[in-house]
Amino acid sequence: MTMRNLSNILGQMAVPLTLATGLTFVLLIGRIDLSVEGVMGLVGSSIALLVLNSRNANDYGVLGVIIPIIVGLIFGLITGILHVKLRIATFIITYATGTIAAGIAVLLYHSQPATAKAQWIIDASQASFLNIPLITWIAILFFAVCCIILNYTAFGRAVYAIGDNEAAAKASGINVTKVTIQVFVLSSFAASLAGVLALIRLKLGQVSLGTDQMFPCITALVVGGTSLAGGKGGMLQTMVGTLIYMELLNFLTIIQVPADYKKAILGIIIIVAVALTLTRDRKTIAK
Amino acid sequence: MNNEILFTTNNIGKVYGVNTVLQGINIEIRRGEVIGLIGENGAGKSTLLKIIAGVETPSTGTMEMNGKPFKPFSMIDANHQGVGMVFQEQSLISNLTVAQNIYLGREKDFSTAGLVNWGKMNAKAREVLDTMGLKDISPKAKIRDITFAMRQMVEITKVLDIVSETANDRALILLDEPTTVLSDSEMAVLFEKVRQMKERGNSVIFISHRLQEVLEITDRIYVFKDGHQTAEVKTEGADEYLLYEKMVGRETNGEYYVSGRQTVPTKDVVLEVENLSMFGSFKDVSFKLYKGEVLGLCGVEGSGKEDVCAVISGDMASTSGILKIGGKPVKFASPSDARKAGILSVPKDRRDEGIIGILSISENVSVSNYKRNAKYGLISNIRQDSNARKWVNELSIKCVGVSQRISNLSGGNAQKVIFARVLDSECPILILDHPTRGVDIGAKGDIYSLIRDITEKGFSVLLMGDTLDECLGVASRVIVMKDGLVCGEFDCPADNKPAQVDVVRLML
Repeated sequence: MTMRNLSNILGQMAVPLTLATGLTFVLLIGRIDLSVEGVMGLVGSSIALLVLNSRNANDYGVLGVIIPIIVGLIFGLITGILHVKLRIATFIITYATGTIAAGIAVLLYHSQPATAKAQWIIDASQASFLNIPLITWIAILFFAVCCIILNYTAFGRAVYAIGDNEAAAKASGINVTKVTIQVFVLSSFAASLAGVLALIRLKLGQVSLGTDQMFPCITALVVGGTSLAGGKGGMLQTMVGTLIYMELLNFLTIIQVPADYKKAILGIIIIVAVALTLTRDRKTIAK
Repeated sequence: MNNEILFTTNNIGKVYGVNTVLQGINIEIRRGEVIGLIGENGAGKSTLLKIIAGVETPSTGTMEMNGKPFKPFSMIDANHQGVGMVFQEQSLISNLTVAQNIYLGREKDFSTAGLVNWGKMNAKAREVLDTMGLKDISPKAKIRDITFAMRQMVEITKVLDIVSETANDRALILLDEPTTVLSDSEMAVLFEKVRQMKERGNSVIFISHRLQEVLEITDRIYVFKDGHQTAEVKTEGADEYLLYEKMVGRETNGEYYVSGRQTVPTKDVVLEVENLSMFGSFKDVSFKLYKGEVLGLCGVEGSGKEDVCAVISGDMASTSGILKIGGKPVKFASPSDARKAGILSVPKDRRDEGIIGILSISENVSVSNYKRNAKYGLISNIRQDSNARKWVNELSIKCVGVSQRISNLSGGNAQKVIFARVLDSECPILILDHPTRGVDIGAKGDIYSLIRDITEKGFSVLLMGDTLDECLGVASRVIVMKDGLVCGEFDCPADNKPAQVDVVRLML
């Protein structure tokens, strides 16, 4: 593998690592967040419309990044509240909010995505340190902060407790409702950040920034050993899983496996990884 | 112990739907007193503790702690007011460490700027574990890696620590059968702790099925029966026999259980169990079930009787031993296998395991027997409904029609639908697990008649009764289990039922 190739992989890793980091919390409490693709697309495409761009006269600078991120956070907040208050399964509520986010994004740019022209975005996309792209450093920083949150805060312990035994967590005085909502806000922050990073990389602000990003991340998490049923896994598993996944993807590309076969292979990997990590209940088949 | 009153309940009662599970409870606990609660399963002991612990709210009555009204709105609230409960089912988080569990929800005390100092927490946990005499338990060990008994001690440590934070040696600790999983030496440690707490002025309520323990540790004992408080005994001068007597109380007459129609079993063995064992639950259980017989299994919860039935009905696997039906050895991988071999069980937890709430009565009747109501693999609704109508008439199930959802029926009627399903399956061996739990008196009578009907037809029944009285009243023979072993057998002919006291003595 050449240096250039490695640098390329590391550049490609920024977005999956960021999303996977946020999704780790969601999976640990035994939920799922399908809205990350939509939120990512919405944040990325609105930034492209708010900074100096090819479509309009806007040039809000840093504010053009902060506002979309706040919108992304609000999406997470609403998703979390709807889930805990209306008790809608996350599988369906996050799919719904994600679809809404993607829809809003398309409406915003009227089917003609903007190209970001701001100099700082161009600079950021080319910047690197130790041959590792800046966006990857941002993802690693976010990952590191989340490591600390998960392992050294009461919130982190509450996440594990809820995933293992929600009733007992509640009985121990943990505010399960609040923690669950916070987890969804954190996940949508990760999605928003991923949107920023993806835009820096590609500069074209369209919904497809987020398309097909989530399931690879879930694959990476599961391959790393995080349980879909909650309570089991962690940041180390997320990093290992993401690296394995990226390596595998790269390998399949190098040996020139056609894209459709690649998908099938990844699908098989998910099944094997889940089958290996699942703790099976005696009586019922997991839903 | 002094005479200062720490805690009182005034006329506490609890009603679930139509069932009164607790009524008119007036207990009084002094500072530094250890109180025992005894009674059969379902007597209401655990319910009372849950009310005191803030898990359940009472339907009637009030409580007072330290002379002030005590009305906890949650368990945490009760903790802050000095009441803590150690649960029968443990409430620890298995993927966290011992220290993290003890301080779960209280991490603030060890945090700076939101970051928890695990070293500090582990050190504090070490200290607390040491004062409990638990030097072998590492605060860094994950709960899932330590034994069940150790978990129990961690749980007790946790509750004690939370409560002593605010209660200042005026705490009330509730222990719901804490000793079931403990070895003798661990029990000694626990009792030592209870005595220490007591000396410092705390009070304890202790539930146990083991009367020797109750006599050893308590100062005073309240006896519960059928949701009522029936006696109060000073531990000093009391013995096990006296407690048995108080627990058992009056005996119900034979008419209630339709004993007049009790069958005299034939000598045809339909089911034979030989040295059946399940590691960690029961050992060398052997018995024969005869055609047309009701065989009762008696024992306290945890005696292994539930698991014996679970193995026979194919829900669990035995570790050794033989099961024979009609003389031929069988092995079941699932309840479906058992059903094919002629064994069907009516589960205890009707809401969870018995009924399929969203389906109609007729579907619930035929769910175990689709084939007979089907033609070319398709279910005939006409057949299914007419079949269900037959059962509704026969068992006098009160309903609007056979298409009514089963979840809208009362407990007794829902139970009759399940009986209809079981009878419809024509399995000759039935396992009835607490068939009258949560059923009103009238429906109970119907169920007893029903058991008589089916045994007259030659069905054999393995019964786990809701009360000992019921078990002896309905069964023609009972087997007594204790700590996983069969420890006695009684014939129960209709005209000569054994005395409950004699059976209870073997159970405890």
